[in-house]
Amino acid sequence: MTRGKLLLLVVILLQLCSSGAQGQQTTKTRPNLSGYWAAGRAFRSAEAPRGQLPPNTVLLADAGAPELPAGNFGGLKVKPAALAAAMKWKPQDEMTISRVCLPPSIVYSMQGPFPMEIHQGTELIVMRLEYYDLVRIIFLDRRGHRPASAPHTKVGDSVGHWEGDTLVVETTHLSESTITNNGLTHSDNVRMIERFWLSADGKTLMSRQEFEDADVLENRGARYVAWDRGGPNDHIFPYECDPSFATNYPQKN
Amino acid sequence: MRSSLGVLVVMMVAAGAPASAHHSFAVYFDDQTIIAVTGSVTDFRFTNPHAVISFNVKNAKGQIEPWRAETNAVTLLRRRGWTKDSLSIGETITVEGWRSRDGSHYMRMRTVKRADGTVLGTPVSNQRVD
Repeated sequence: MTRGKLLLLVVILLQLCSSGAQGQQTTKTRPNLSGYWAAGRAFRSAEAPRGQLPPNTVLLADAGAPELPAGNFGGLKVKPAALAAAMKWKPQDEMTISRVCLPPSIVYSMQGPFPMEIHQGTELIVMRLEYYDLVRIIFLDRRGHRPASAPHTKVGDSVGHWEGDTLVVETTHLSESTITNNGLTHSDNVRMIERFWLSADGKTLMSRQEFEDADVLENRGARYVAWDRGGPNDHIFPYECDPSFATNYPQKN
Repeated sequence: MRSSLGVLVVMMVAAGAPASAHHSFAVYFDDQTIIAVTGSVTDFRFTNPHAVISFNVKNAKGQIEPWRAETNAVTLLRRRGWTKDSLSIGETITVEGWRSRDGSHYMRMRTVKRADGTVLGTPVSNQRVD
């Protein structure tokens, strides 16, 4: 064997060892998030957040069932134009046949009091939200985001990776939608980072959501959301929103 | 205190209102007052974002007032044991819930009782979520 071939062999063996060790570590630390997760809720007092929020970030107190009242945006610093639009908003505007079944983007949907199913693979993770039948695909293959010209949607373009036992997801390409369900709307330039991890007993899925939108906000927003694990016979139901519900409310001329 | 024959103001509540999940509850409903309204079912639409119960209520003058009660999302009701056949046209029910802020005959359901006192669906401890 020539010296060159020997060197090449050593390099290959080192790479194999390195990837093998990395694979064992990943397998050991990577939790399985698959399953049914009951309605999203706020963290309980005994449930400790992970890490610290970045500077200039406000924690919103509307995770799960609570809602912020009109004109209260939970400490988000809203830029003047967006604030003016938010203060002009009337809830009746949403109760029309053309708008009542428009799904909120995942910025709002992920914290709502509805369950979801997670199907976890090695290359991607699928999150099926009961709320408005939203389906998220989180790519784990390091593909990067779509081109800037790609369409924006209510679930956006999500890419993720594992940091130890934490799934980190970055979402871009979201279309304009509500942030707080009371008139404050994010632009299609919003960017969201989510971190998902399991409780020590594996019975609770925890997440920290952070979002930033330079078109609308001067600071960043964050929410902590938790979901309790369901049983094998729990499933999400189809949402199939019926727009005729809006006829229960006075229609705009 | 009765405001009409079929409407009973049950209590003032200090607790928060249920999440609307898709539209702001507090804007449409008075979260401080719970009423109970008894009437005869005329329609039951079991669809999202909220099911709607329509029912006729006889007022103090003996006149019929059409009422409607909005529920949680149907997906959440299903987990509490409700189905599209949970209510029959013509049956008498008492709907307890939050009244509409605009004074119309519209309310947000908390519980529904049949004439024999049976509560529909699995009782829940936290109506805010369920």
